[in-house]
Amino acid sequence: MSAVLAWVPFLQPMTVLGNGWWLLMVPLVFGVAVVHRAIQDPSMDGYWRRVLRLTVKANAVLGSLALAIYLFVYFVIPLLRAD
Amino acid sequence: MTQQSDSVDGPLNWFPALMGWVLPGLGQVLLGHRQRGFRAMGGILGMFLAGVLVGGVDCVDRREDALWFYAQAGAGPVAFAADWANSALLKTGKVGRLIPSPPPNPRLPPPQITSFKTVTMSNEIGTLFCFTAGLMNIVVILDALRRQPANPKGWSA
Repeated sequence: MSAVLAWVPFLQPMTVLGNGWWLLMVPLVFGVAVVHRAIQDPSMDGYWRRVLRLTVKANAVLGSLALAIYLFVYFVIPLLRAD
Repeated sequence: MTQQSDSVDGPLNWFPALMGWVLPGLGQVLLGHRQRGFRAMGGILGMFLAGVLVGGVDCVDRREDALWFYAQAGAGPVAFAADWANSALLKTGKVGRLIPSPPPNPRLPPPQITSFKTVTMSNEIGTLFCFTAGLMNIVVILDALRRQPANPKGWSA
């Protein structure tokens, strides 16, 4: 709580994120989707639905890659023989 | 390619593209694509401000992180404003305080760094947000350069 009160927005980095920093992947991908759909779609009908769909898809792919790398590093590499 | 696009071969829209650097999405607005322009503007400025909010103004630094800044500058004057705020507020000690850090060369005096400078993950993520905003605006500028005006007579300022 004291860390939140001591934080000066826009001048100091956010300290409250802790180990949850990776969740910022969601708003980052959302921002990219908003811009990408704004210039790429032939029509603006159903724009937000397509933005949401792209956000979910991209996050799912990134999350799957992260899971695959986690499994490789923590489960596959320890099985490799060093000698 | 089944999707139709209103980007066609034709004269390049240099002025709207330049305005798209001054304010992200303004190029599309000048070309008559107001919804596209304002949505792109919201996305780019939102990402940039989110980056500065998460990482602090220190995540935009023209001198110390020049390679990151080249892409961040794609977001327009807002990147230079953030760099100016970093230089004028943090690096002068007007906000926070300056503390000596180990000198890279022992014969030189120790450089002073702001107490607000960190090497946290938040700072790196903030840098990444601003970097992505800059790159996305370059894509939007290129789109404004090639996009056909909504009004057949051309774009209007």
